[in-house]
Amino acid sequence: MKKKIIIYILLIVSAFLLFAPILYAISASFMSPKDIYAGKLFPSEFNFDAYREVMDSIPLLHFLWVSFVMSFMAMVGQLVLSSLSAYAFVFIPFKGRNLIFFLFLSTMLIPWEATIIPNFLTILHLNWLNTYQGLTFPFFALPFGIFLLRQHFMTLPKELWESAQVDGCSRLRFFFKFALPLSKSSLSALAVYGFLTTWNKYLWPLLVTNDDSVRPVQIGLKMLIAQEGSSQWNMVMAAVVMILLPTLLLLFIGIKYIREGLTAGAVKG
Amino acid sequence: MKKFSFLFIALASILAFTLAGCSNDNPSSVSGAKGDSGKDKTNIELWHSLSGDNGKNFEKIVDEFNKQSDDVHVKAVYQGGYTDTITKIRAVGDKEVPALLQASGTNRKYLAESDFVKPMQDFIDDEKFDTSGIEENVLNRYTIDDKLYSMPFSSSNAIMLYNKDMFKEVGLDPESAPATYEDIEVASKKIKDKTGNVGFSFATIGWYFEELLANQGELYLDQDNGFSGKPTKTLVNEEGGQKIFKWLDKMNKVGTFKNYGSNYEDPRAPFLAGQLAMYLDSSANVRTMVDQAPFEVGTAPLPVPKGVEPNGATVGGNSMYITNKLSDEEQQAAWEFIKYTVSPKVQAEWAAATGYFPVTKDANGESALTEAYDKYPQMKTAVEVNSNTPATPEMSGPLSDEGEQFRTIIEAAQEQVYEGTDPKKALDDAAKKIDELLE
Repeated sequence: MKKKIIIYILLIVSAFLLFAPILYAISASFMSPKDIYAGKLFPSEFNFDAYREVMDSIPLLHFLWVSFVMSFMAMVGQLVLSSLSAYAFVFIPFKGRNLIFFLFLSTMLIPWEATIIPNFLTILHLNWLNTYQGLTFPFFALPFGIFLLRQHFMTLPKELWESAQVDGCSRLRFFFKFALPLSKSSLSALAVYGFLTTWNKYLWPLLVTNDDSVRPVQIGLKMLIAQEGSSQWNMVMAAVVMILLPTLLLLFIGIKYIREGLTAGAVKG
Repeated sequence: MKKFSFLFIALASILAFTLAGCSNDNPSSVSGAKGDSGKDKTNIELWHSLSGDNGKNFEKIVDEFNKQSDDVHVKAVYQGGYTDTITKIRAVGDKEVPALLQASGTNRKYLAESDFVKPMQDFIDDEKFDTSGIEENVLNRYTIDDKLYSMPFSSSNAIMLYNKDMFKEVGLDPESAPATYEDIEVASKKIKDKTGNVGFSFATIGWYFEELLANQGELYLDQDNGFSGKPTKTLVNEEGGQKIFKWLDKMNKVGTFKNYGSNYEDPRAPFLAGQLAMYLDSSANVRTMVDQAPFEVGTAPLPVPKGVEPNGATVGGNSMYITNKLSDEEQQAAWEFIKYTVSPKVQAEWAAATGYFPVTKDANGESALTEAYDKYPQMKTAVEVNSNTPATPEMSGPLSDEGEQFRTIIEAAQEQVYEGTDPKKALDDAAKKIDELLE
């Protein structure tokens, strides 16, 4: 019992430490600039000025909408492509299967930044600047997703596959009726992961868009930060809080699945 | 189970739908972007890096231009920081280039040599546009091989800000700020002894080193800072540079100098919190600091080593380029906008709203600006320093397309000194690295 209490105290303290920057961001969003520069932890008086000013100075709600559409599209694309290719790697025997799989995996070693210019040129010549498909297509093929789902599909009992075949179940039918429903946790984990990473993208959206109507919220955030002059940090923090809310919500809902998904198949090979 | 396959198919069809929809989508979104502008006007884009309050003020200027112009509509697009904008314009190549580009002075050599910029001089010569109204030393900074490649828009320089209340508290004269390195040392010592506060600091940004060097009238690169030929060697580790590094090292060791970080913002917080007495900042930020500070803020020119005459400050800020890939009509439209931006009225408004100082001399007489100066007399220091600065290569800053890397090298050297490396060694090593880049 005593041990448990100590562990819980330690957990609470470390949770608080980890969460402190976000708590400060919330607190700072209610401060006046003077409070922030004076290094205060709590606002001397609560005001919502920063929120109002943010709404006035950038189309934040629109940016949020764009971010949402963009992240959702990337998430859907990743789920569809990853699950189909993982399925092929596990259940369809073909020559060089492993070689191709490892080739896919090895692309994880190439940093995204190295491919940014070729990707950009492709999008440019497809005339996809300022479009949602330009924003999301390069993220659809996700080796991590393929890997995650392949490992999970491999844990499905071989007998299931064999008996389904004996009963005359088609490949596609097996995919929909067995493979996908049995991998819910991994799929959800991948969905949350895909959504959040796309949500946080900055450089790519900046490159492929020239118009505020298709720009996500991270660019809006950067617009609030001054280059040489002083930024109004209360406004920046207010924007950060508003941007965080959807991601936090998603995380709260999805954390269970992420945990299950990422450890699924970790024990059994 | 059924639900699940339905969901999957639904998702897949959304995907297919967007795929199919995209090819039709594109033209409409492009024309949609231009839809809000005037009908018969020439529409051009301008890429800029102004964010925060400056971004808002800049958009106001663009809006006013659009309102008063009968045949040109400018759409200002924010493209991230100065470096992001350069990255982007490098990537787009021939397609999608904007008619106008705003860039920082550090990139002026790269842009002048690039194949997508049309020299501003061509427009000036075609129209016999009179540039004598523009501050000479500002023009000089952007003139390469007797050709003006871009039109200066905002200019700022580095100045020293100090806490007048703290000066009073420790018995220093709040009306005369220390002017030499040695005076700063003495004043800082006094402040540290009496209040425990830090005397002096500035953000570890290579620009400040350039400014301190220029103020001594020293060159950064040979070949007149690169203005009279391709530079082969850096002069940062000559006597002038050594003096700066030794001074920083000395003050850092006794604790009267403190390194707060490498962002413009970093020393501002301790200054406003009353923990730092003096620091260097961009003059573009003076107005905000005066507004934010709970004490009286003073401004002063940059310091020099004892026995050296102060020369002034090099000009920071940004300028505007016209690209050469678009039609003549669009280029002329861009030129219309450029002329508007250097008119005294616009320059005065811009300077009054931001803290940059005007690049056009006549702007100083405009009421918008004189009112701002009456309210914020601290803003005048930068203007005075600038008008006393001679138009010489020393005061125009190093001209090289590696300018950004030089700064990174100097910043690293400064950090080494703060951590205890011998200042001479750190600077000599930095010079060696810069020389390698010049080869």
